[in-house]
Amino acid sequence: MKNLSIIFVIVFVSSVRFISAQTNTAMYISISPTYGANVVDLADSSFLTNDSNNLQIDVLKFYISHFQFLKAGINVLEEQNSFHLVDASDPKTLQIIILNKQNIVFDQLDFYLGIDSITTVSGAMGGDLDPTKGMYWSWQSGYINCKLEGKSKLCSTRNNEFQFHLGGYQSPFNTLQALEFPISNTEHIHITFDIKKIIENINLATLNHVMSPNNVALQLSKTVSKAISIK
Amino acid sequence: MKARRYFLLCICFVVSAFQFTEKSLFFVPDTWPKPKYDFSKNPITESKVELGRKLFYDPIFSGDNTISCASCHSQYTAFTHVDHALSHGIEDRIGTRNSPALMNLAWQKLFMRDGAVNHLDMQALAPISNPLEMDETITHVVSKLQANNLYPTLFYRAFGDSIITGEHTLKAISQFMLTLISSNSRYDSVMRKQANFSEQEKNGYRLYQQNCSSCHPEPLFTNDEFMNNGLPTDSTLKDYGRLGVTKNPNDSLKFKVPTLRNVEFSYPYMHDGRFKRLSEVLKHYTSGIRQSNTLANVLQKPIVLTSNEKVDIIAFLLTLTDKSFLFNPKFSYPRK
Ligand code: HEC
Ligand code: HEC
Repeated sequence: MKNLSIIFVIVFVSSVRFISAQTNTAMYISISPTYGANVVDLADSSFLTNDSNNLQIDVLKFYISHFQFLKAGINVLEEQNSFHLVDASDPKTLQIIILNKQNIVFDQLDFYLGIDSITTVSGAMGGDLDPTKGMYWSWQSGYINCKLEGKSKLCSTRNNEFQFHLGGYQSPFNTLQALEFPISNTEHIHITFDIKKIIENINLATLNHVMSPNNVALQLSKTVSKAISIK
Repeated sequence: MKARRYFLLCICFVVSAFQFTEKSLFFVPDTWPKPKYDFSKNPITESKVELGRKLFYDPIFSGDNTISCASCHSQYTAFTHVDHALSHGIEDRIGTRNSPALMNLAWQKLFMRDGAVNHLDMQALAPISNPLEMDETITHVVSKLQANNLYPTLFYRAFGDSIITGEHTLKAISQFMLTLISSNSRYDSVMRKQANFSEQEKNGYRLYQQNCSSCHPEPLFTNDEFMNNGLPTDSTLKDYGRLGVTKNPNDSLKFKVPTLRNVEFSYPYMHDGRFKRLSEVLKHYTSGIRQSNTLANVLQKPIVLTSNEKVDIIAFLLTLTDKSFLFNPKFSYPRK
């Protein structure tokens, strides 16, 4: 009996595969956390830069959401339930596959860095939005859109640590960042998150601890959004 | 043929039983407004409510397995903390606050005295993650629940999935809290014309309508807004209420207007539990109002009440006690 049902499941799954292969084009969106030209892989250890202040990256996690594909400025395809937690220590999160059912042609990709306010006030959610993912503030409701943590000699803090937990969904401190990029290769979309672009634009000696929604978080979120590019 | 008739009978029975439990688990009392909680995302079922109730009373939520939600929200005091002005053992901002009574939560939009929590589902995260309160993370709580020999079955029964998630844990706790409806006080009987007020209570009701109902309106006895009711700031706590969340100076010293239902048992009163008696509360409203930029308009002009009138208002407030709520066996520690 058990064997039979296993066979059934296998047949079922493979037939679904077969059908989908016929009508859907898979689009691969890959995400590379980098520091300048180097890939930042936090799976087994922290990432040490060759920066003179012994800059080290320990944590990089962020949400990207609401993938929208456009052609000549018009929305032609939208991923449903589009919430993705990207974690530089978890390679599984660095590739997203979206099915393009009717082979729709597009030339632009829009998405958010962070979680929008309507989703934020909708109660408990699952998947990448589950609060067990560690990206939810407890003492004051709201998702942490982006976590960046590490060490630098510039920080006169305990263990020279810096910690940025950026979030906030209510005006005037809505930290959500809307991004749009022109796309030429529509099968493989390659998103780069270059931490160097953030570090170069802030002074770690004075700015090393942001943990709540406020104006500093808002300004820093804008800086962080500039670290994202598509090649 | 016979089997089919039995089958139909069974269906009828199941459907009617279902409707019966639905109504008794969560209902909107006559004349009450539409709830603010979005039930479409978390439809009430008996198995979820029961699971939520078990979780509410289970110390598995705290790091050392000693404190449950009920430790600070006890049924017999309208789900507030017994006797402690400031819920103790809590650090930082929450530690400066008196735990509020829990009831009629489906009609509330924001939670906590300053509205820092935007949805009932998310409320349980605050005490769980607070270092000195329950000293735990939701991630670890979920793994403890998963390892428990009972919970995977209960989650399967409730959500059709024995893999426990943060989402399901929080939704179950919400379900139990949503059933905490208090709508059966003597005041309610009077409104339903099943009882009468005494002369004193009647006068108290009139005075309440004149002086208090703008912020504490019927039938919920709260307007669910944030107001400054003129309390002098406590110089050691320095709690500015809603300002801390919105950073907007217009919100300085504003706190959520609490319900007056079951106020006989929800002492001590106000966000920091500064008053132990209702007589002190009335003294505050008549002679303790502190002027400030954000003081509510209706309190700009002093409320004038004779000492008899104060006693009458208190007599009316006591009619808001709902024994069937405070002693409802469905809300108590699950003994099964
Ligand atoms: C150590 C005491 C303590 C424990 C344990 C505790 N709470 Fe609370 N609770 C409080 C305090 C204090 C507040 C108010 C805090 C504030 O306003 O800043 C509160 C607020 C609330 C509110 C908001 C009520 C309102 O009217 O805004 C809800 C709902 C609630 N708690 C549910 C729970 C649940 C569910 C648990 C278990 C997971 C729990 N509490 C555990 C002390 C506690
Ligand atoms: C301007 C709006 C406003 C008016 C008018 C008002 N209140 Fe309040 N009331 C509040 C607010 C806000 C709080 C909570 C303050 C806090 O938490 O520090 C409160 C708290 C209370 C509490 C404490 C409840 C608890 O569980 O802690 C009682 C009792 C109370 N009010 C009774 C009254 C009475 C009686 C009147 C009329 C004489 C009245 N209020 C008029 C806004 C108002």
